[in-house]
This record gives sequence, C-alpha cells and structure tokens, in this order.
Amino acid sequence: MLINLLKRLWLIMRTPSSAAMGFILLLGFSGGIIFWGGFNIGMELTNSEEFCGGCHAPIVAEIQETIHYSNRSGVRAICSDCHVPHNWTDKIIRKVQASKELVAFALGTINTQEKFEARRSHLANREWLRMKKNDSQECRNCHQFKYMDFSEQGRRSVKQHSTALASGDKTCVDCHKGIAHRLPDMSGIEGW
Amino acid sequence: MKKRLIALCIATLITFTALPAMSVTQDLTSNNGGVRSLRGLVEISTTNKSEMLKRVPREQTLIDRNYVQQPPIIPHSTRGYYINLNVNKCLSCHSFKNAGEMDAPKISVTHFEARDGMMLSDVSPRRYFCLQCHVTQVAAKPLVKNTFQPVKSLQ
Amino acid sequence: MKFSRREFMKIQAIASASVVAGIALPASASNLIASRDASKIKWDKAPCRFCGTGCSVLVGTQNGKVVATQGDPESPVNKGLNCIKGYFLSKIMYGEDRLTTPLLRMTNGVYDKNGDFKSVSWDTAFDVMADKFKKTLRDKGPTAVGMFGSGQWTVWEGYAALKLMKAGFRSNNLDPNARHCMASAVGGFMRTFGIDEPMGCYDDLENADVFVLWGSNMAEMHPILWSRLTDRRLSHPSVRVHVLSTYTHRSFELADNGMIFTPQSDLAILNFIANYIIQNNGVDQDFVKKHINFRKGVTDIGYGLRDTDPLQKKAKNPNSGASTPMTFDEFKKYVEPFDVEYAQKMSGVSKTKLIELAKVYADPKLKVTSYWTMGFNQHTRGVWANNLVYNIHLLTGKISKPGCGPFSLTGQPSACGTAREVGTFSHRLPADLVVTNPKHRAIAEKIWKLPEGTIASKAGYHAVEQSRMLKDGKLNAYWVMCNNNVQAAANINEEVVPGYRNPDNFIVVSDAYPTVTAQLADLILPTAMWVEKEGAYGNAERRTQFWYQQVKAPKGAQSDLWQLMEFAKRFKIEEVWPADLIAKMPSVKGKSMYQILFENGNVNAFDLDEVPKDKLNDESNYFGFYVQKGLFEEYATFGRGHGHDLAPFDNYHKARGLRWPVVNGKETLWRFREGSDPYVEKGSEVQFYGHKDKRAIIFALPYEPPAESPDEEYNLWLCTGRVLEHWHSGSLTRRVPELYKAFPDAVVFMHPEDAKKRGLRRGDEIILASRRGELTSRIETRGRNRPPIGLVFMPWFDAKQLVNKITLDATDPLSKQTDYKKCAVKITKKLS
Repeated sequence: MLINLLKRLWLIMRTPSSAAMGFILLLGFSGGIIFWGGFNIGMELTNSEEFCGGCHAPIVAEIQETIHYSNRSGVRAICSDCHVPHNWTDKIIRKVQASKELVAFALGTINTQEKFEARRSHLANREWLRMKKNDSQECRNCHQFKYMDFSEQGRRSVKQHSTALASGDKTCVDCHKGIAHRLPDMSGIEGW
Repeated sequence: MKKRLIALCIATLITFTALPAMSVTQDLTSNNGGVRSLRGLVEISTTNKSEMLKRVPREQTLIDRNYVQQPPIIPHSTRGYYINLNVNKCLSCHSFKNAGEMDAPKISVTHFEARDGMMLSDVSPRRYFCLQCHVTQVAAKPLVKNTFQPVKSLQ
Repeated sequence: MKFSRREFMKIQAIASASVVAGIALPASASNLIASRDASKIKWDKAPCRFCGTGCSVLVGTQNGKVVATQGDPESPVNKGLNCIKGYFLSKIMYGEDRLTTPLLRMTNGVYDKNGDFKSVSWDTAFDVMADKFKKTLRDKGPTAVGMFGSGQWTVWEGYAALKLMKAGFRSNNLDPNARHCMASAVGGFMRTFGIDEPMGCYDDLENADVFVLWGSNMAEMHPILWSRLTDRRLSHPSVRVHVLSTYTHRSFELADNGMIFTPQSDLAILNFIANYIIQNNGVDQDFVKKHINFRKGVTDIGYGLRDTDPLQKKAKNPNSGASTPMTFDEFKKYVEPFDVEYAQKMSGVSKTKLIELAKVYADPKLKVTSYWTMGFNQHTRGVWANNLVYNIHLLTGKISKPGCGPFSLTGQPSACGTAREVGTFSHRLPADLVVTNPKHRAIAEKIWKLPEGTIASKAGYHAVEQSRMLKDGKLNAYWVMCNNNVQAAANINEEVVPGYRNPDNFIVVSDAYPTVTAQLADLILPTAMWVEKEGAYGNAERRTQFWYQQVKAPKGAQSDLWQLMEFAKRFKIEEVWPADLIAKMPSVKGKSMYQILFENGNVNAFDLDEVPKDKLNDESNYFGFYVQKGLFEEYATFGRGHGHDLAPFDNYHKARGLRWPVVNGKETLWRFREGSDPYVEKGSEVQFYGHKDKRAIIFALPYEPPAESPDEEYNLWLCTGRVLEHWHSGSLTRRVPELYKAFPDAVVFMHPEDAKKRGLRRGDEIILASRRGELTSRIETRGRNRPPIGLVFMPWFDAKQLVNKITLDATDPLSKQTDYKKCAVKITKKLS
C-alpha cells in the first residue's frame, strides 16, 4: 500500500507538468499558511494594547482606574475586546475602516490631549451607536445574559436586567456607559 | 582588598552593636506615659504596622442619620463614578427625573435652591459636586466610640 | 392619651423588656408626634471649627448637649451649605476619650519626666507648672520660656496668650501653628503691600471671569468656596477655570485648563506670565505709573535650616529679604529670559497651556482672581511666590475690584483673626505692629498700661526654631495649646521628639483629646472646645465672627482662656519682672501677673450683667466680669483708626460676621479702592496705604531650586497635605465615625507605572523612607489623587503613620514656614 503510494508520487514528480503542478500547489499551501499566519499575527498585533496605546495613550491610561482593568479575579478586557468585533467578517470590516484612522494619525487630527477632549463626544457617540446596532455584541462576548445569576446581583441590577434587558428593549450600552473611559459631555444623552 | 575586608567587618560590627543601643535611646526619647492617642498605646519611635486598605461594601442597607439636617451617607461603592465638567454620574440615578426608574432615593428639593434663595427647576450648580457632602463608608469599626446622642425621636 | 388595646399590649411589652434591660423609656415611646416643647431644639449660630473659609453653622442644643448642626442660611459665606466636616460638627465634642482631668507624669506621687501619667487636680497641675516656669525664669530668664499657640484659638485666647507671654513673662517666644500654614502669605503681603491680609473678598467668586488655582485643591480643602466657584463656572459658560498643581486632584474636575508642573517651577511660570504680559501689551501703564514701585530682591537666601547645615552655609545671603530699587525697564529686562520655552522646560507644562494661562492675565477685558493655599505658602520660596503672583496682578491693575485680585486662602478658622490680626507670632503685636520697632512696643505698653520697656525688643523663636531650641536645651518651659505639633511639625524624629523628651524641659499640652503631642508632654491639661466657650474667629476674607457658649464643657475641662488667665494668678510680678522695670511703675508692686494684665481697668471694664441672661459664659462667671468683651475691646483699640478697625463687641453677636476695616458701621469689601475702602483718599482711585508712599511693590525675583530634590537613591518627590474628610491632624474628625469611615487611613497615592516599576500593586504594604526616617503605609494607585510619574502624595492626618517623620524641616528663609510639599523619598515593598 505504502509502496504503491510512493511509486505514484514518484511518477507525478517525474512528469514535468505534474511536478510543476505539485510544486505550485506546495508553494501555494505553504505560501497560504505563511500569509494566513502572517495575516493573523498582523491582526493580533494590531489588536494588542501596546499597538492601540501607540496612538491612543491617554485613553488607554483611562481604563487603568476601572474594574475592566484591575479587579478581584484578574480577568480583564483589553481595547480590542470591546472595540474590535470578534466575528471574522465584522472584524475585517472594522480593520479596513481603521485604515482611515491611519490618515487621521498622519494628519495629527487627535495628537494632543486637548484635541482628544474636543472630539471625545463625537468618538464616544460613534462607539455607542455601533454597539447599539450590534446589540452590544462585544459586551456579550463575556457577559452572557443566559448565564447571569440574578440571585448574585444587586436589587436594582436584577430589576433592569430581568425586564428591559431580557425583553431586548434595552441593550447593555444603553445603561453601561463610561465603564472603561471617562465620559464625554452627557447633556442630551438619554438616561443622563 | 584585605584592608577593605577589615573595614567592612568593623562596619558590620558597629552596625550590629550600635543598633540595639540606638533602639534603647529611642525608647528613652519616646515615652507615652501610658496615654493612648489615635496612634494607640504605641511609642512614636515605633513603626506601626499598616492597616489593610478597607473596602466599601458593594451594597449596604441605608444608614440612619444622626439628625435630620445631616446629609445622607452613601450606602454603596462609588468607584469609577465621575463628576466633572462633562457628567455627574450620581444624578444619573438620583436626579428627580431618573430616581423613580432607577429605584434610587431622590435628591432633596433643598438642592434646587440657588445661592440667592431662588428655587430653580433643576439642581443648583452650587450643589454639583455631591461628594463634598455625601461620602461612602468602608467596613470598619470606629477608631474611638462617639457618645453623641441623637434627639429622642431619632433614637 | 388613648391607646387601642393592641397598642397598649405592645407598649407594655416594650416597657417590661426595658425594665429588665435597665433602660428608662419615655412614657410615650411610640410614633406619636411629640409635643412642641419636648422636641424643641435651641438653635444658635457659630462659625465652623475647621478651615479658614469661615462658614457659619446653626448649632442645635437640647438638654445641655449638641444634637444637630446645619448650614446657616443667613450667612453670606455659605448660604446654608456645609461640607461633610461641617455637617458633622455635632459629633466632634463627643469622642469617648475626651480629657476631663489634668494628667501629670509621676512616680510615687511626685512629678517625674519618665513617669506615667496620673490624674491630678487643677491646683496641683498649676502648682507644678508654675514651679517649673518660675525656676526656668530664675535660672535662664524669659528667653527660656515659650508657648506654641494656634490659629484655632479664639481671638481673645490669642490676645490673652500674647499678653501673658510678651508682657507678663516678657518672652517673645510665642508662635502659632499658623506659622506652618500662612506665614509666607503674611511675608508676601507685608513685602508687597506693607499691610497684611487679602484686599479682596469672597464676593470675587461671583464676579470673576477666570479663576486660577495656584497650588490650592479648593475642591477638598475649601469645599464651600469651591461650591461658589462651581456655581459661577456652571452658570456662566464663558467663565474659565485654570488649575495648577504638582499632581491631579479633585479640583481638576472643573478645570478648563489643568496643568501639572514640576515642583518649584511655579516660580518660573509666574515670571513667564509677567514677561508675557509685558511683551503683549497687557500692562496697565497708567496704573503702574501711579501706584507701583519696582525693586530687585536679594537672591541665594538659603533654606531656613539650622545655621550649621551645609545647604545653609553655602547660601550667599542667608535669610535676607533685602532689595534695591529698579525701573520698569529694568524689570522688563529682568523677566525677559522667562519665555515660554524656558517655562515649559522648567515646568513640563505644554506651551499651549502656558500661553492660554498667560493670556487670561494679559487680556485687559478679563476679570481674573487667583487663589492659593499651601502650594505657595509651604514653599522654600513661599514669600517670593506670593510676591510674584502679586506682580502679575499689579502689572495688569487686576486688583482690589470685584472679580479681580490675588487671594491667599487660609487653612485654620482664625489664622487671620487670631494669629495674624492679634499678632501671636514671635515678632508681632496686634494690628501689624512688631516687637522690633520701639514705637510699636510703646503703643502696646501704653494700651496695656505697662511700664516702658516691658516688651522685649528681640523677636522670639518661631515655630521651627522652638523645636530646635527645645532640643538644644535653650527653651525649657513650654506650653503647647490648641494644636498637635508633634504630628504637624516636619522632621519630627530629628527635630521635635528629642526636644520634648529633653530632661531639661517641662512640656505642657492643653487639648481636648489625647494627641500624639500629649503623649510626649509632661503635663496634659483638659480643654473645653468650640461652643463650650464664647468665641470669635476671623476668616480668610477679614470677616470677624462671634459665637456664644452653647453647652457646658465636660466636667474638669477648662477653656484655653480660663487656663491662660488662671495661670497668671500663680505669679507675683516680682517673680517675673526685674526690679528696675517694677521701679518704673511702683503701683504694680506686690500685685499678681493676673491683676496687672487682666484687672487693668480695660479687660475688667464690663460687668457680668452685660452677658445676656439666657447665655452661658463660664469664664466670665468665674472671673466676675465680662472677660471676652473686655479683652476684645482692649485689643480693638490697637487697630481702630489705623486701617484695622473692628466694630463694637456687641455688633458681632448680632451680625453674621463683618469684614474689617469696619468704619462707621460699614464693612470693607475691597481694600485700597476708593469708594469701597474708607482709608483711600477721594480722587485717588487706588492707594496701597500699607507703604508710606501708598504704592505697592513689584519684586524682581528669580527661580531658585528646592532644598531637596529626588536623586538616584531617593528617587521620588513626596508631597503631603490634607483630604476633604479630615481636618489637619484628624484629632477631631477621626473621632467622628462617619468621617473616619469615609477616609479611614492615610495611603500613599502613586502613579500605576511607578508602582509597576517597583513591583507594587494597589494595597501593597510599603516602606516610605527619606534621609530622616521611615514609615510603613499602603499604595493607592487610583481614586481622588493621581500623581504624575515621579511624585507621591500622602495625607498627614494619620497618627499611626506620622508622615512628618519623613518630611524635611527646610523653611522659607523669610517667613520661616516649612515646605511640606517637597522632599525626596524612596519606596520599597515591605517584606513581611
């Protein structure tokens, strides 16, 4: 059996056209693996806190005071957990959108704390809208409604979660704003 | 090299012999005479062990007031609750508008009064920074018992 | 009273239960509304016991105890508001460990410096104390006797202490703890204006377009002023708030322009602003021509350390406040090097922010008020910093008018009223007079009806010097009253504790509670406090406020006033004054010091029946005349007609305070301004009448480095200060359970990166060490204070941690005020 297989392979390799075919295939596979791996490494690198911090240092610092950074059990969220969709296609779309941010970076649109503060409201609203649209998917990646133990929650939390959240009337980000960053000017925002 | 070694030995010897002597004089210079301060019955020269960071329990029952004019104490943690030029997190639950839905105590109407005595339609800006008057409480025993007696109707 | 059967049964059950438990229940322990009379609370006004804001509170008493306090709606200062400390004033007198008996160190029934404290009578206490004072006077003379007083003393307590020390004992070794708090502000005022205390008032808070906080965390330290500032900022969207500090704190929450600067570089920023104003045509030429002189100050003045300290020896002009005249053009040249590049390099603040700040001063259309507290005052160049901020207000003429002015805030309730106005400093007499001026001494001796030459001509030991002299054995009989200096003074290991335990010294501590200072005393005297006595305080805006005694002190405790006056009875004048002085006024022969100082026809001029019938007044009843009124009226003669006019005594009991000078019943809001200040001559618009030529001085002063900066080993700056919930050493506020639980223990606030570098995380126990000592504490990396990398902040209220073991006793060489904001420390993890 094994000998037969080897013989066939030998035959293919000996035949020029087949060999070329095989070689291309191999190249393709390994190239694919390298490309795919590289792509994924790239994706992962651009998802790391260090990468984000490269441009967004002040806002990355803001999370350090919050429970999403430091808490009892040490489970923590990094920028991409909340700001980059986990689902593949959405992730690619977001990454492509991010290329626009490179332009902004090159132009120095938000290169000082003052400029950032001026745009904080705009940026926050855009993020809230995105999360509102996807039903707070990035929150739900960790905080899954069906596994919430209401008996361990505070009275007011139970009240909101068992009604508005359960019915789909409200989504996480409707109430939980500013959980990882300072809030922008909240005048006119519902519930504030 | 040998010289250095000897010097080192002498230095060590001095340090070790000098240490107890020093602590004796320190005891002499610090004598609390049996009086207990908020430091405890501990000499000033002694280094106290640090208290653990005390925690604000996540959810507490309402804390009684000592007199009706006292600002109510905050019975919950306020970690990450910002009050600044952009936002007042406290009012997102305790404002007149939101308190009902959030099942939280309403801010008192006294807070609507402006400096000139005029009643406003919303919280007076002079009351904006809630934490100037309302504070949280960690789980801890009082340092010293306080013998303050509330009026009878509050006892 | 009618009860249903069920209710009756319930009451029966409760009543029988309470009999078993031994509790007496009121007859109607039900939810019936009590009668009007039974629930009646007696309300009376009093200023708050804490900071220098001077809020008025209404104190509710029932059955001889305080049962409630609330903000006084009638008070122009706070209009019904209090901060959290003010709201809990009701409980500060009721800590279980109130002192109620004198405690003397004894072994086998006799005084022994190494003995344990035993309860003694007031008689025995004063006997032993008088003995020690007399012996010291005999052996070493008046310079070996001293007193450390307080900006928390009432006006008459400070005044009685001043008379007792400077006239009675003839010692100028009297200084208040206010030396630690605003001596640099005094130095600044005297140097620039020739007269102490702010020209503006709190009404500026409702009038300014821009507020600049220079080293003041008003949000925590002066919360009611902060609420007025917040009101202005939020109600008028064009108003701007600039905040400068060496770390981020709560005041930054309202800041439109928040700036974190490198410690000490405020001097460079201030000079940059002066330069910017000149370069950008912001100078009010007319104002400067008419009202300003320019002078160049002497530099390299040292750091107020002991003369033997190498740093002090290195200084070219140690302790010199000398200056020489210069012209405007010379001044212009002098500040030219302070450009924005230099200021940015020194401070680390971005150019944009610095220019934004400078612009508000330079823009003639904007009304700017600058506030500062300990950031400027606790500074080895504190007087300079004060001078430099006046420079920018004087260059622009933004001074002495609504919404415009430099304003120094105070930390104690009567730092202005008692320490500064009464003059309880080692060099001062009332109303800005000084002991070194023979004319001033003569004025005091005349008012006090004392022989010429009674008051010593040399300034006494200031606060820091007192500690050093105790250690050196040159100050031997020492009375600490109404403060907690062992916790408050810097470098206590090396410079404070040794002096208290020096076998040659006898230390008396008067306090309401056992403090760490009391723990080092030889005699502890139990003291009445706040509304347990009639009092007067003067706040930061020159407002003098009175209150009546509202409850009795715990049995055994006596007010500072009683203690000072009663102690004077223990001395025959022959025991304290030399024969030649007595010979100048033979009528004093054979009299007691008490008779000479307090039964002089002034102090005892008002009969007991002038005390309102429904008011308590323990001291007056004891001494047999209206003590407080007599002391106040004698004191007020110093300032009346000399720019420090106080209203008649009785007016203050009616008003919610009055801002001096009070002339013809009218208070003064903005001094030096025609129309507002009665001392300014018609047609002159502005007169800085503190100086003879009625001009203020702009001083050319450079940047000079701090006494100690971080190096390789001690690689962090340490800044100390307060928190909202605790006042000063916490001896009152930490005995209120609610305040204690709001901020229980001191922590070291640190940048998370600094913590990470040292392998630390929040809550870790650490050793904080300087060249002077070490302590253990815990790390806090979040919360209200967020220091930059390279600096840590630690509050000093915690008696267990005593951060002043670490701090450096370097002072401003001119004001002698300690710099508690800058020293070098290292932090390591404590291995258990």
